[in-house]
Amino acid sequence: MREYLLIVIGAVLVNNFVLTRFLGICPFLGVSRKLGTALGMCGAVIFVMTSASAVTWVVQHKVLIPLGLGYLQTIAFILVIASFVQLVDIAMKKSAPKLHGSLGIFLPLITTNCAVLGVSVLNIQLQYSFGKALLFGFSASLGFALALIIFTGLRERIDRAHPPRAFQGVAIALITAGLLSLAFMGFAGLVQP
Amino acid sequence: MTSILMTAGTVGGIGLVCGVALALAARFLAVKEDPRIAAVTELLPGANCGGCGYAGCADYARAIVVDGAAINLCAPGGQETLDRLAAYLGQEAEAGEKKVALVLCGGDAGKAPRRYAYNGVADCAAAHAVAGGDKICAYGCLGYGSCARVCPTGAIAIRDGLAVVDPALCISCGACVKACPRNLIQLVPVSQDVHVLCSSNDKGPVVKKACSVGCIGCRLCVKLGGDAFEMDGFLAHRRYHESLDEETGDKAVDKCPGHCIVRRSLRS
Amino acid sequence: MKTIRAPYRVRGGVHPVYRKDRTREKTIVDLPPPALLRVSMAQHLGAPARPVVKKGDAVARGQVIGEPSGFISAAVHAPASGAVKAVDNERTPAGGAAPAVQIEPDGEDRWIEGLEGLSDWARADAKTIVGKVAAAGIAGMGGAGFPTHVKLSPPPDKPIDTLILNGAECEPYLTADHRLMIEHASGIVQGLEIVRHVLGAGAVRVAIEDNKPEAIAAMEQALAGVAGDVALVILETGYPQGAEKQQIYAITGREVPSAGLPMDVGCLVENVGTALSVRDAVLAGRPLTERVTTVTGTPVRAPGNVRARLGTPYADLLAACGGGEAFAKIVAGGPMMGLAQPGLDATTTKTASGLLFLAPGEIATYSSMPCIGCGRCIVACPMLLMPAELSQFLEAEDYEGAEGLNVMDCIECGCCSFSCPAHRPLVQHMKQGKAHVMLKRRAAKK
Repeated sequence: MREYLLIVIGAVLVNNFVLTRFLGICPFLGVSRKLGTALGMCGAVIFVMTSASAVTWVVQHKVLIPLGLGYLQTIAFILVIASFVQLVDIAMKKSAPKLHGSLGIFLPLITTNCAVLGVSVLNIQLQYSFGKALLFGFSASLGFALALIIFTGLRERIDRAHPPRAFQGVAIALITAGLLSLAFMGFAGLVQP
Repeated sequence: MTSILMTAGTVGGIGLVCGVALALAARFLAVKEDPRIAAVTELLPGANCGGCGYAGCADYARAIVVDGAAINLCAPGGQETLDRLAAYLGQEAEAGEKKVALVLCGGDAGKAPRRYAYNGVADCAAAHAVAGGDKICAYGCLGYGSCARVCPTGAIAIRDGLAVVDPALCISCGACVKACPRNLIQLVPVSQDVHVLCSSNDKGPVVKKACSVGCIGCRLCVKLGGDAFEMDGFLAHRRYHESLDEETGDKAVDKCPGHCIVRRSLRS
Repeated sequence: MKTIRAPYRVRGGVHPVYRKDRTREKTIVDLPPPALLRVSMAQHLGAPARPVVKKGDAVARGQVIGEPSGFISAAVHAPASGAVKAVDNERTPAGGAAPAVQIEPDGEDRWIEGLEGLSDWARADAKTIVGKVAAAGIAGMGGAGFPTHVKLSPPPDKPIDTLILNGAECEPYLTADHRLMIEHASGIVQGLEIVRHVLGAGAVRVAIEDNKPEAIAAMEQALAGVAGDVALVILETGYPQGAEKQQIYAITGREVPSAGLPMDVGCLVENVGTALSVRDAVLAGRPLTERVTTVTGTPVRAPGNVRARLGTPYADLLAACGGGEAFAKIVAGGPMMGLAQPGLDATTTKTASGLLFLAPGEIATYSSMPCIGCGRCIVACPMLLMPAELSQFLEAEDYEGAEGLNVMDCIECGCCSFSCPAHRPLVQHMKQGKAHVMLKRRAAKK
């Protein structure tokens, strides 16, 4: 039980995927201007990361390792993840066309997003069981969602403010992201080994 | 050899499974979209200025294909786009002339004095709401730049407290027309160069106190120019769809007692 | 009749310097009609009245010169007898344009014939009395100018149990209501009793700030003989104690809901001047033709409280107070919510409570800075809004976001601008935001 709790806290707070591991920065900066769009992206990422964790674990342990093809990990994982994202794209276009329109280019960006590949690879590296891998993938996406929602709130305020000319736009956003990352460093040491 | 076959087979196998799954999804979760919408979007200039009244070029394309919207609403696209759209959709292309925005006021700081010191938000609608605006003329351009701020191409400059449009940069999207709280901006055909640069409907004596280039309502231009000018109360208007020959235009410019009729080319 | 202290404290608000000493002891002076009266048709909230006289007509004092043109509208009457010189569009103190009837008084000051009072009002029904109020063209004289006959006809599903008489006069410099209470206490109380009869209200509360001890004494005396649940409530002096929603809270503890009206909590607030006008209308049949205005400010030589006919040019008001020079700002009303004037061309209306002149050393021009997040405006806002957040939304022209933050509940009292160390034009932002939201709502209705 304690182990599972540690996985969750570790993935969400201590080693937050965006703010500590610096994975998944693309959608983090791209979709964080409006809360509605950001929440839509969170939903998509949670679905993709969790299901991708599960499927890639199965592919690794039931297909690649038994066949001694461990070196195909990267390409096999990318294939699976890309298909998943395309599936989400098709499903979203059908069921939530408005959200699909506003996410626009950022939806396929989850494919080339290092966060999803990162969590899949980390599952293998950390030698998690299926259950733990699934939990880790889910928690990692929750951490992404937390960071994205906080950052969107900040960004909405920044958009209404008047920073000096040189800082306007992405510049002040990146500085803020850095400060947020600094704040999350406060969680280091929360999980005692 | 076996290892290469194994590798290729495994990757191929995974790819095949994914491919089949996606094919099925594409079949059952397909969203029917008219392919013409994408084609029409390609034909539009892609400026997404909203001048047509729709939210961007893709939205206008959808409106054209699905709702049957008029195809001549794209001002930046001009005649070229209109012809292409007409050809693709098999419709008639009506001739339309390029238009540019013109601020119908000539009252800059030297000509139309202010009546109080305004200390507030630098926005024309805001200034207009404070005691009716800080110009003596209740109709003229306040020069706080609300139009300049919404112009997507930066075509409007505020010179001496008066907004002036640069015809070379204007794409006639109409954003400035909507932004002006005193409705001073009009889209004018680019070939016309005689204009009545005044929008004041005050009587002559009131206008004389307010501005040195204001229309005093004397009707001389209507007498000289016939259908090219018309009176609306105490304000003369240029009827742009009526022709005005060079000589008559020069006479109107010279003789106007209010000095509000000017010859200004709108060509870039 | 009892005298009590207000049981609740108004939330928010500010404490400006009051500067009422220049005029608080000055008895009301009646001004004769000026050389030319310019009576605006837009003297009240709602649709301007429609002029019913034309150039050349002869009019008597109290004759109808403008008819109400809608449900929320009021009649306008000739303030003096004379000849109509013109009916023309004129600039109102707010800057808009409205028709105005120009009357040249003939010096006789003759009232129109046939004005009848209703001496037996206590037995008359509410409708008859309200009809007399409507015929007199009375509008809220505290400053809002809401047509009184409409206010006194609340829908049957909103009964009024508490009638509040507003003698707070919280704006600095203004002393018109203060003098009215001292000099016409019995008349005001008569008007109060008439209004209570019309509404069928059980409780009556007369609200006066504690910086007006003479007015409190005078009203206490006048209220002594009044039967029923009557109390004089002494309010803690502060701005905006005179704002009706804040006053209702201070006296009853009831909060008017967002986007609601006082009648939603069973209350109704009337200004002392309005009550006096109601009494004149019902007892003597006389329409509203004049009001008391405080003319004050350091540049004014002989500041005072003048009772001038409606339509008196501001220049004449200043002249009647000894004139003045070297003023940098003219404010129609009080310094918190009044409207700055570009000149002295405008004329008095039913809501002209004050004319304030400020010397060059008393005003300052500011260039505003971005919000520093100090929160002083949030503490000061009596409607419990967040002006700091709202002004950021409004600067970014996000009117939907501003609507979500209840910009429509703003009463434009000025407490936020008053408190802002960054000198942000907060009230101007609020006004713009409200105008945009109103425009959007009107467009959506079509």
